[in-house]
Amino acid sequence: MALILLPLVFSLIAWLLPSAQTRLFGLIGTTINLFASLISVYGFDAQDQLFIDLGLRYVHFSLDSLSYTMIILTNAVFFMVYLSNFKQEITSKKRFSALAFLMQFGLIGVFSTNSILGFYIFWELTLLPIFLILYWFGSFEKPKALLQFFLYTLLGSLAMLLSVIGLLQLTNQQTYEALLAADLNAHGATSIWLMGGFLLAFAVKIPLFPFHTWQAETYTKAPTAGTMLLSAIMLKMALFGLLKWVLPIFDGVATEFWRWPIITLGLIGVVYGALIAIKQQDLKTIFAYASLSHLGLIAAALMLQNEITNQIAIVQIVNHSIVSIGLFLAAGIIESRLQTRDITQLGGIAKVAPRFAFWFAAITFVSLSVPFTAGFIGEFFLIKAIFNAHTLSGIIAATTLIFGAVYMLRAYQIPMFGPTKNSVFEDLSWSEILVFALLIIAAIYLGLSPKCLTDFVATSINQPTL
Amino acid sequence: MPQDLTLILLLSFPLLGFAINGIFGKQLPKMVIGSIATVAVFASFLLATSLFSRLDGTTIVNLFNVLDFENLQINASFQIDALSIWMTLIITGVGSLIHLFSIGYMSHDEGFYKFFTYLNLFIFSMLILVLGSNYFVLFFGWEGVGMCSYLLISFHYNDAQKGIANSLAGRKAFIMNRIGDVGLLVALFMIIGQFNTLEYTKIGHLIESNKALTGGAMFFITLSLFIAATGKSAQIPLFSWLPDAMAGPTPVSALIHAATMVTAGIYLTVRSNFLFELAPFTQNIILYTGLATTLFAAFMALRQNDIKKVLAYSTVSQLGLMFVALGFGAYTVALFHVTTHAFFKALLFLGSGSVIHGMHEEQDIRKMGGLAKLMPITHFTFLIGTMAISGIPFLSGFFSKDEIMAQALHHNTFAYIVLVIAVTMTAVYMFRLYFLTFHGEFRGGDQLKSKVHESGPSMTLPLIILAILSIFGGLLNLPGLFFKNSAHWFDHFLSAGTFGLNHIHPVHLDFATSIQLMIFASIVALSVLIWAYLNYVKKGNIAKDDKDLNGWERLSAAKLFVDELYNVLIVNPILAISDFTGKIIDIKLLRNGVYALADGVLNSANISRKWQSGFLSSYLFWMVFGLIIFVAYYILKISVWH
Repeated sequence: MALILLPLVFSLIAWLLPSAQTRLFGLIGTTINLFASLISVYGFDAQDQLFIDLGLRYVHFSLDSLSYTMIILTNAVFFMVYLSNFKQEITSKKRFSALAFLMQFGLIGVFSTNSILGFYIFWELTLLPIFLILYWFGSFEKPKALLQFFLYTLLGSLAMLLSVIGLLQLTNQQTYEALLAADLNAHGATSIWLMGGFLLAFAVKIPLFPFHTWQAETYTKAPTAGTMLLSAIMLKMALFGLLKWVLPIFDGVATEFWRWPIITLGLIGVVYGALIAIKQQDLKTIFAYASLSHLGLIAAALMLQNEITNQIAIVQIVNHSIVSIGLFLAAGIIESRLQTRDITQLGGIAKVAPRFAFWFAAITFVSLSVPFTAGFIGEFFLIKAIFNAHTLSGIIAATTLIFGAVYMLRAYQIPMFGPTKNSVFEDLSWSEILVFALLIIAAIYLGLSPKCLTDFVATSINQPTL
Repeated sequence: MPQDLTLILLLSFPLLGFAINGIFGKQLPKMVIGSIATVAVFASFLLATSLFSRLDGTTIVNLFNVLDFENLQINASFQIDALSIWMTLIITGVGSLIHLFSIGYMSHDEGFYKFFTYLNLFIFSMLILVLGSNYFVLFFGWEGVGMCSYLLISFHYNDAQKGIANSLAGRKAFIMNRIGDVGLLVALFMIIGQFNTLEYTKIGHLIESNKALTGGAMFFITLSLFIAATGKSAQIPLFSWLPDAMAGPTPVSALIHAATMVTAGIYLTVRSNFLFELAPFTQNIILYTGLATTLFAAFMALRQNDIKKVLAYSTVSQLGLMFVALGFGAYTVALFHVTTHAFFKALLFLGSGSVIHGMHEEQDIRKMGGLAKLMPITHFTFLIGTMAISGIPFLSGFFSKDEIMAQALHHNTFAYIVLVIAVTMTAVYMFRLYFLTFHGEFRGGDQLKSKVHESGPSMTLPLIILAILSIFGGLLNLPGLFFKNSAHWFDHFLSAGTFGLNHIHPVHLDFATSIQLMIFASIVALSVLIWAYLNYVKKGNIAKDDKDLNGWERLSAAKLFVDELYNVLIVNPILAISDFTGKIIDIKLLRNGVYALADGVLNSANISRKWQSGFLSSYLFWMVFGLIIFVAYYILKISVWH
């Protein structure tokens, strides 16, 4: 229970505390949350399911190994965001801390709720803080750019709301277990439409082509901490929703109907994102399109509804969070030191900042899925799953290996090794090194022993408790 | 010491060297760093010899389980057999000599500790590649050596003039390797689909017990494996990264881009012999790709003037030769050439490194000449390397090349003729290189001449050892006409101890044909030697400037315009598509489309004038307000409804 409510409490405290203490409080708060979730999982048996009653009538909670994984990921991400932005101005803002904790609360709610209504409410709850963070701390010159993100999100939320209402009316059930037991196949076309509503909301958030155009623009205009939160954890809500809720509940007619359209969009995203990333000049834009490419692969693989693939998808989701934080941290470091992220304005940083050169290279290689990193396992098995389902699609998915090398090495080499344009560059601070080191260690640990994660989530993915 | 412990230690030493130098290297003196790295590899070599002496069939050492799914187990397990241990001996043996050489060669380099860190990591990855007992572990090492190769090619990214070129060369290598890796990935998927395992021995047994497995599946699996091999082993069409890879420090060229990593494709094919044996069509593709590569690369080497570029094209050409052997199904013959090539090509590269070191970073042979007197040990050992690769009788290259020629003569006369041409060109460009570098007048100016020096013992010692191996390496696999009873030791050793190869024996020609073949090859090599001596030493011809070249010479110097062709056909179209999707489809079409929609929505509303008069904050306010109302209304509605 504390696990779920702590962030909400911290959010309130952050409002009340004097600004001078905000920064430290944020770091301490996220640390406490992280440890609370770690302690809680320590006594948890992966086979178990933990029901939590907060006394709410329509919103219930239950924790299984999948929820735990996502909650720990959430708390780890928030901790990392605070640690990596510790020296930035943003973390000293009271409003930011309060919103960030509120968002953490919302995310934990999404990952732990047991009722479809709760899922929807928490989903919406996470949107408010991120909107305000973008508005207060972002650099949106034109309202349109921010509006684009709103419109997309609103459209998705609306569709999901309709689907939730429809689902409730159709089944008269709202807990996860009851919805699983309800046979939606009997409703044929209706179930297809209902699933479509969820998928639209998810397609915006994953994001899937062609619902992605908000992404690059929002990522570039958002403060680095906001980009990290969005990319590393918030957008994972959609993949989680797909994996835990939509695919099992609509299993049958509706998933059959949507499978290949979604896979197709995912794979278009893989190639399309990579192609665009090749020639972009803004580091954050490159990483945004890289994200489109990587997440399209995970979404496509999830649609295959294969147990093993789902387990590996979790590994890849965690891996993507690691990569996102690392890459956007690197982009943020360059931006905060040189006031630009345009690679044509950068060059020769490696000479003046060897530590940064090393850690940026390390995270670049993690994003390239080299051996010993989680992505190596993740990419291998996700592409394999797609390949088994459809040979040509698998080969198309595999091109991510090639294109990834093209755009990532370009994004790394030009700023770091290019002709010297930046002769002054303050090397990494201790907190930045610590973040990079933690990320790399996590990636390597998962790369050598993906089993610890796949085995842990296996029960909640393989046998949804009925 | 039991075998499994030996194996684990063998793998750990380079990893330990990597870790120590990587973490503490900055604080350690250069001598210590170099010694740690070299000793780590040499220790692995000693352990490998111990495994070699105790070889007994195939031993599998299972370290731990990586992933365990109902129908598929992925283990980090390793295989000790003749093939893997032989490769290990080459990697660690030649590897430790090159490490030793690097201590001297890199002594002035700022990134000394990084260099040895990467080098140890490379050795470790390469050992993983050859020692794995399944394709997954192989893929692990395969990607790992690609990464190390990238790091080491772009090692001198700080260089004032060539910094960015060096790192671009690294990127090119990485990307072209990745293209091949897609082939490997696809092959692995198909193998899992077909056999439900990635373990070599299990696949082999499944094939043995089910002869019906032929046709389409085997063709596609082996073709994909071969695509992977073309990437790593620089075959047409994925060969053009290797000459560029010469941007790396010379010991790297010797170790990675000559002796070990580039032979990974050959190792992969030999390891998968049981698959290739069922796919005769793929074998033909290999044969003709190998033939084309060996011929064209030799042609391109004819008019290169960078000492390392000549050797790079020569490596591509020699690798092509090995693939020709694989195309004939003569796996042991290919590996025999892998072995001798590792000796003499490492020797040549290190020799060129010694020359470059002594010439203070000059690589252009037009500026050299007469170095024989100034660098006697380098000269003498380079001469041996040149003779070995050119097929001068009784040196190692003579025997290993002769075996491949014999296969060709037996199977396919056309192939034999092509090989004769390629082998002749090899002798031509090698002797041209040798005479222009070491004989005649020094052409680099008096100032440079006074500074040219022979390299120190840490560099000359490896040269001498490799020279000895290049001379006597042929003894490993002497043909039948020399020692009737103990002939073809290497063939027997590999065949007996490697899964699948015990069924396959390369053809050995009869006595008379063998003799004729050898005599003919000797005549060719010796006449080229005499011609080159007359042309470059007696007549004193030197290499012309590129702009004075005509006809075929120009084509050779311009490397057949392959890079330009790839740019026009592949790189530029992709960049154009990238521009088009990024600027037109994504921004003009999709993003502006959404903008237009947003405008439309806002304008069509009656209150639009009020909305538009506000600032962003009012948009935001309404948006957030709306959302909250939404949620509140909804909760209320549900509560009432229930």
